[in-house]
Amino acid sequence: MNQIVWGYKDRQTIFFGPLQPFAVEMGPVSIKQQLITMKYPLYLVLVLLLGVSQSACTDKCTETRVFKRFTPVLLTANQIRQNIGTEAVRTLQAPGKIYTKNGFLFINEIKEGIHIVDNRNPEAPKMVSFIRIPGNGDMAVRNNILYADSYMDLVAFDISDVTNIRPIKRINNVFPSGQFNGGSWFVNSVTGDVHDQRIDYVKDEIQTNCEEGINPTNWMFNTLAFDSRSMSAAPSTGGVQQTTNGTAGSMARFALYDNYLYTVNSSELQLFDIQNPAEPKTGNKVQLGWGIETIFPYGDKLFIGSQSGMHIYDNRNPQKPERMSVFEHARVCDPVVVHGNKAYVTLRSGTNCQGFTNQLDVVDISNLFRPKLIKSYPMRNPHGLGIDFPNLFICEGAYGLKTFDASDAQNIDKNLRENIDNIDAYDVIPLGKSLLLIGRDGFYQYDYSNPRKLRLMSKIPVQRPGAVS
Amino acid sequence: MLSLTSEAQTLPKRLPFVNYTEVGGLFGRVISGTQNNKVVENKTNLTVQTLNGVKLTKRLAVGALVGLDWYNSALLMPVGAGLRFQITRPSDRNVSVFASTDAGYGLTWLNKSSTGYFVKGGLMLNPGIGLRLGKPGRGCLLLTLSYKHQQAQVEKPLRWNEVMRYETRQYNRLAIRLGISI
Repeated sequence: MNQIVWGYKDRQTIFFGPLQPFAVEMGPVSIKQQLITMKYPLYLVLVLLLGVSQSACTDKCTETRVFKRFTPVLLTANQIRQNIGTEAVRTLQAPGKIYTKNGFLFINEIKEGIHIVDNRNPEAPKMVSFIRIPGNGDMAVRNNILYADSYMDLVAFDISDVTNIRPIKRINNVFPSGQFNGGSWFVNSVTGDVHDQRIDYVKDEIQTNCEEGINPTNWMFNTLAFDSRSMSAAPSTGGVQQTTNGTAGSMARFALYDNYLYTVNSSELQLFDIQNPAEPKTGNKVQLGWGIETIFPYGDKLFIGSQSGMHIYDNRNPQKPERMSVFEHARVCDPVVVHGNKAYVTLRSGTNCQGFTNQLDVVDISNLFRPKLIKSYPMRNPHGLGIDFPNLFICEGAYGLKTFDASDAQNIDKNLRENIDNIDAYDVIPLGKSLLLIGRDGFYQYDYSNPRKLRLMSKIPVQRPGAVS
Repeated sequence: MLSLTSEAQTLPKRLPFVNYTEVGGLFGRVISGTQNNKVVENKTNLTVQTLNGVKLTKRLAVGALVGLDWYNSALLMPVGAGLRFQITRPSDRNVSVFASTDAGYGLTWLNKSSTGYFVKGGLMLNPGIGLRLGKPGRGCLLLTLSYKHQQAQVEKPLRWNEVMRYETRQYNRLAIRLGISI
């Protein structure tokens, strides 16, 4: 019988193999002896491990966030009105909305003015000039007249000569309040001063407990409300218009239709009669509710995005839009674009949009009095969007741009064509062949003839002194 | 005299298969908040792991490992490689001590996070020491003590007035595990 035993002799091991004819049996060595004869360093290692574990077994989780800090600022009416003018070209610092007409780009510099860019060669856009307009956030161009807001006023500029742009008309005190990037402003009706807020981006780090730390809330809802008021049989104004309008993004608050400029501020729709484009006149005002964000004209309808829902207005009588229905949703911000009988609404959290939803809603609007949700798709932080069917472009803020094939409304998320995530995307304008995109990093122009792989044609970067990127 | 025939090529020696399968707990703490307002919480999480490989020498075994660490806010699956080195001399004794070193990458394949949270895995390091009880060559019981370091990154949803929010995590735990090994 092969017996293998192993034991100590004089602190040396003696190994007896199986084929040895003489196997010297030694009694089984006790566990105690075995443990004792283990080398000291082993015990040391164990003690060290235990000691180190006391202080070292602590999780370390650091949360980094960038947020906006608001500081109040006071501006007098004179400061605002007299500070208007044309300047030399500036770099993009805090770009807002974009607008295009006849190969020219108008890029808003938030609260500062408008950059005029010659984009007739999309591969090499050229900055032409800068119009200084305090408190500017939106613009629209009809023929050769540029309409821009300047805090509480509406200003019309003659842009027939882009190198010599001059203001030709100003309507005072038509906008009582507004907001830029979450910081709201209002006019003090007694003094005429504007109380505004300056925004600083602050970065901070905290040690967290490595958990998600959220309490489930049940207050989010997605109900539908509809308004079956019958429409008045007012005839449309008809006639062929010899006017040309530019194109705005989905985040726009200005829209042109027929002989009117439609502007939305936080609670109302203010119309301007622009029958004579150089002489805008204040028109009707329609109360909309609260938290109004964007306006999108489609055919003879107006789609208005607000924090409580998407409003659909009938614009057959352009001087008196009438509400048809409201598609309500959770309290978030939402731009909207429309194609055919579907409306695409993005909902996002953050800033003054207090909800926590981030999604894309596809709404069936074949019956405008009864908009119906087709499907909701979760998104990261969607901002503006653009549709050139079947291409659907969604700006995901700091998370970039996503391109979808929207031909199947039930499976948009499964048809993601491309995700460019190394840019900041705020809003887009699809122009058939090229896509104009604006974000915090700059202005980008893409060729989307192959929607699976957008080709960057040109870029105007943001050059911000000492900012948090 | 060795006659060389075409069949007498030396085949690579079949290396014996080893398996170390363990289950246990990850113990540690986390300190959050600010300097003057500290909050300390104790953490206990489940860990399982299996390492399958070969015994290279009498003392050294190497293998590929797959595990599951179920942290409170992330279910990570470390995959990687590990070494098992026997410290006590190889013999017939019923007890032996070994040192282990594992390294890998934590995958988030099985992880599910709340809306707006996106977890990305990271490096996993796990040096330790263990005890094998049982006859060598047969199935043995394992008792291991190790230090597990796991990194992860999480994107968090934005709240009011935030434009960016993410978290870098480093889990540092004491792993005490029981297992079997062959």
